[in-house]
Amino acid sequence: MSAPLSLSELDLPRRNGELVFDAPWQSTVFALAAAVVDHAFAGNREPFRRHLIAAIAAEPERPYWESWTAALEATVASLPERQTS
Amino acid sequence: MSEEGHHPAPVSPIERRVAALEALLTERGLVPDGFIDEITRRYESEIGPMNGAKVVARAWADPAYRERLLTAGTAAIAELGFGGAEGEHMVVVENTPAIHNVIVCTLCSCYPWPVLGLPPAWYKDPPYRARMVREPRTVLAEMGCELPGDSEIRVWDSSAEVRYLVLPERPSGTDGLTERELAGLVTRDSMIGVARL
Repeated sequence: MSAPLSLSELDLPRRNGELVFDAPWQSTVFALAAAVVDHAFAGNREPFRRHLIAAIAAEPERPYWESWTAALEATVASLPERQTS
Repeated sequence: MSEEGHHPAPVSPIERRVAALEALLTERGLVPDGFIDEITRRYESEIGPMNGAKVVARAWADPAYRERLLTAGTAAIAELGFGGAEGEHMVVVENTPAIHNVIVCTLCSCYPWPVLGLPPAWYKDPPYRARMVREPRTVLAEMGCELPGDSEIRVWDSSAEVRYLVLPERPSGTDGLTERELAGLVTRDSMIGVARL
C-alpha cells in the first residue's frame, strides 16, 4: 500500500447536509443497489455487502463509488438468469 | 475526476458501466419507474443527521430516555420513529470529559444510515478507515478535534452486526434551550465522534 493520504489533504466536510454524491452516476448506482437488494434479494443486503467488502479489499485505493459499482456488477452477475417463457 | 485524454469521451467508462447496469436491471423489471429519484431524494432530504440530532437532544433533555438509549439503543431510537435498514443493531456510546468515542468501519462503510444519513465521503476513504484505528488522536487532531492529552479515545468498528452512534457531551450554557433548539446544535460529525460540540 502506498503512503496513506493525510486526511488533511482531503476536502473534509465540516457541516451537516454536505453533498454526498459528487456526480449523478454515483447516486444512480447507489439507488440501483437499493433496487437490487429490495427487489432481487427481498431486502437482504448481505449478498451485496459481501461483494462490496470484496471489491474494496481487492482495490483498497479505488474510489468508493467505483468499488460500489464493481460490487453491484458482481452481485448482478450472481443473479439467476431470467426465466424465459 | 477521471483522467482526461486529448479527446475526452462525453461519457466516462464508469458512467457507461452504471448506465449498462441501469439498463439491464430496468429490463429485468427490478427498477420501478421513479425509483432512483425517490431513493436519492429520501436519503438526501428525509433521512439524515437530523434524525440522530433529535435522538441526542432527547437524551440530553430526558435522563430516563438517555438510560434507555445507552442500554438498548435500537429500541430507544425506534421510539422516535427511526429505524429500518442499516439501523437494526444500534449501540450508543457516550462521551464524557474523560472518554471520547469515535466510529469507523474498517471493512467497508457500515454506518447507521437511519440516524445519520449517507456516510460522508471521507468516512469511506481507506486512509480514514486505517488510520483512525492506528492513530486516532492524530487523525482527530487533523480533523480539527483536539482532545485533552489525558483523555481516553475509544474507536468503535461498525459492522453488519453492530452500528455505533456517539452521544456527544452536552455543551455548557445550554440549560435554557428547548429540545428542538438542542437538536440544532448537534452535528453529524459529533455523532461520528470526529468533532466536539
